[in-house]
Amino acid sequence: MTGYLLRRIPTALIVLFVASLLVFAVLRLIPGGPESALAGPDASPEDLAAIRHDLGLDRTFFVQYFSWLGSVLTLDFGTSYQVGGNIGDLVSFGLVNTLVLTVTAGVIAIALALILSLTATIRPNRFVNAILTGVNAVAIALPTFVVGTVLIAVFGVGFGVLPAGGTPPAGLGDDLWITVQYLALPALTLGLPAGAMLARFLTEALQTELVQPYAVTAVATGASRADVVVKHALRNALPSTITAFGLIVGALLGGAVLVEAIFGWPGLGMLTEEGISARDYPLVQILILLSVSVFVLIQLAADVVHAWLDPRIRLAGTR
Amino acid sequence: MFRHPRLRILVALALTTLTVVGATACTAVDAQQGPATRTGPVQRGGELRVGVLGDLSPSKFLQIGTGGPNGDVLANVFDTLVTYPTDSSTPQPSLATSWTLAPDGRSLTLNLREGVHFHDGKPFTSRDVQSSIGAYLGGPWTPQFKRTAAGITGFDVHDPHRVVLTFAHPMSNIFDLLDSAPILDGDTLDELKAGKTFNGTGPFRFSSWTPNSAIELVRNDDYWDGAPPLKTVTFVEANDPKSLYTRLRTGQLDVAEQLTTQDQELATKRYGFTDIEQTGAEAQIYVGVNVENPALADPRVRKAIAYAVDRDRIIDDVYRGSGYPVNVPWPKTSPAYDEAANTTYRRDVAKARDLLRGVGPIPPIRLDYTSTGTTYRIIAEIVQSNLRDIGITVNLQPNEETVQAKKLIGAQFPGLWILQHAFAQYTPSTLAVTAYPFNAAKNSSNYSSPEYTAASEAAWATADPSSPEALAAYRRLDKVWLNDLFLIEIGVVLARLTAAPNVRDIAWDHRQQLHFARTSLTDPDRKA
Repeated sequence: MTGYLLRRIPTALIVLFVASLLVFAVLRLIPGGPESALAGPDASPEDLAAIRHDLGLDRTFFVQYFSWLGSVLTLDFGTSYQVGGNIGDLVSFGLVNTLVLTVTAGVIAIALALILSLTATIRPNRFVNAILTGVNAVAIALPTFVVGTVLIAVFGVGFGVLPAGGTPPAGLGDDLWITVQYLALPALTLGLPAGAMLARFLTEALQTELVQPYAVTAVATGASRADVVVKHALRNALPSTITAFGLIVGALLGGAVLVEAIFGWPGLGMLTEEGISARDYPLVQILILLSVSVFVLIQLAADVVHAWLDPRIRLAGTR
Repeated sequence: MFRHPRLRILVALALTTLTVVGATACTAVDAQQGPATRTGPVQRGGELRVGVLGDLSPSKFLQIGTGGPNGDVLANVFDTLVTYPTDSSTPQPSLATSWTLAPDGRSLTLNLREGVHFHDGKPFTSRDVQSSIGAYLGGPWTPQFKRTAAGITGFDVHDPHRVVLTFAHPMSNIFDLLDSAPILDGDTLDELKAGKTFNGTGPFRFSSWTPNSAIELVRNDDYWDGAPPLKTVTFVEANDPKSLYTRLRTGQLDVAEQLTTQDQELATKRYGFTDIEQTGAEAQIYVGVNVENPALADPRVRKAIAYAVDRDRIIDDVYRGSGYPVNVPWPKTSPAYDEAANTTYRRDVAKARDLLRGVGPIPPIRLDYTSTGTTYRIIAEIVQSNLRDIGITVNLQPNEETVQAKKLIGAQFPGLWILQHAFAQYTPSTLAVTAYPFNAAKNSSNYSSPEYTAASEAAWATADPSSPEALAAYRRLDKVWLNDLFLIEIGVVLARLTAAPNVRDIAWDHRQQLHFARTSLTDPDRKA
């Protein structure tokens, strides 16, 4: 197992290196540099040149790249051009907010999937199915920004029962109940389509399980459909659904960017948007590299687990 | 139904959660509501929550009009030597209590207020004036009055409560600089540049900043002009004006800046919010012209465009009447304002067509605009339609804000462009030495003329900005703008602020920066 892991790590490192080079290059291909964002429209060309020099942007591409790479390898992520301050601090603050939002959305998605799937499977009548299919289709089809806007209009502005955006004034940890209320609308916006997608996977998996011989036999011996679904079919349907949920987590993290903008939730999405608009190279480079690193690590972990379960993979290439 | 116990528990749990949220979710929202009346004595205390677009940016802290909370933080944490009232550019005392300008206009003696301290307790002296002007000129900032600051050639600071500034030449806009350059603490300058310390002498102390989230200022009880009524000012940051609007509507904010025109109108006309027109903080919307473009090099084409543009429609439809059409940049509050000059070009399609008759075929012209928000796009489409009426084809080119700024500074617009400028609300000479599009030496239009350079210099080097010589120089500038049309003014635009009915006495300055030293809430005990 250790041997397999050691064989896989160099590939992961190469991917990270190539990604860092690509990120660094692509950012500099975007028209308009940080000096324009910093100087403003009343600056002179001489002011722009002075700012470029101060930021070290007048050095050659590879000098800039290796200087930055060296800093990153020593865990010195540098300073944001626009906001100032340590990038590590900015990213960690945004990361906490994004994780809180996506985890809550994930919980909502799981709860929604269980309710919709179990109801549709245990009570398979046409009326219930039509309603559930409708709810499912709407949740998947409606874009996030539409759902978010409608939720704000209804619960934030119309009924005025939930905050229309922002974060708890005293912080997330001050009063859990207030935090839940601030989280409700953005998490629901993010979790609704994910829950609907998950419900489809789970319903399909449960239907497949219910035609298996063990389920048919259980029903024939007089067990109720609910018992068969909850006690037997659900347990067997979960593994494939969990795999699907793993894919949906990526969609949750991606969707968070838009939801954070709509609700003014200061996570990594808002930070990335701000960084790109201001051409804040050091900040955006770290944010994108962080995303790539997360996906590389997940991929590596998945491969390792797969190899652990399947000796053929683990032992391939050792002879 | 739901006979299975586990299933029943699951459904019950979901329904209970929904019911509890529906019934008690008011906690977070109720805390934001309060009765409102603006009568009676000023109430002390409370927290004012101000919604702003964007984040604090220490790298741009001294630049005017950078968006975000920069200007508001600067205006409330720091003081300037003098202040202008919103309706004129007559300096009023602030950290300088009185001043004397030498008859030849080459030196200015400022008597400084005694007993003033920075928030960290350090006393304010004449040396802080010198170091602040030095910081203003130094990096990383590119503030707009840099050229004026560079005209100061000497500082006499031997008396801690008096400073004598000497100039390379008389500068009619010296008070514009003193009204906008904050007095900074030279000892914490590096921390200010890094966004770590904001040590001023202003009515509020900088308390905390959570990037991308909020900034908190707290009352300075020792403020030289009396402690402000408000206990706290919190700037709530957002990236989307819609988000600000909904939070204002639902009571999460007391004041919102930079709402869309439609939302602002809705909030004030339908929902009872206060509409505050920021007179004296005007901006101008204009069509820029690259005079080196062969199609635009002929002044007759530029005049035809000036006749074709439907200024009234742009002001009425796009800005919902918050402004007025002009041909020259001066707002009504400026001593250079000339009603007659503004009647030179009004929409006249026949006249525009007549002008183009002798010109020959005009190839399609590109019109660049900023894609941020919808305002510039709509204006660009109106101008495109206006020019189509006189036979000129316009191709629209949207640019991201950063790209638009880069093209402006680099004079890279191939044809026409739409943007806003400011600085006409100050001493009139400031416009041609401060706003880059008007710069006589180098500008985005690639325009230069000896007459324009001479008129700019004459206006700037006149000691008294309201003297007959100065007024004559402004008229010369008007003549250049109206004849050569390297910038075609559309109109003066007035910024608007939206506030809840329980907010009293918000002040602002020429830079649209809000001042909360006198602001109060009618219900300061409201739970924040």
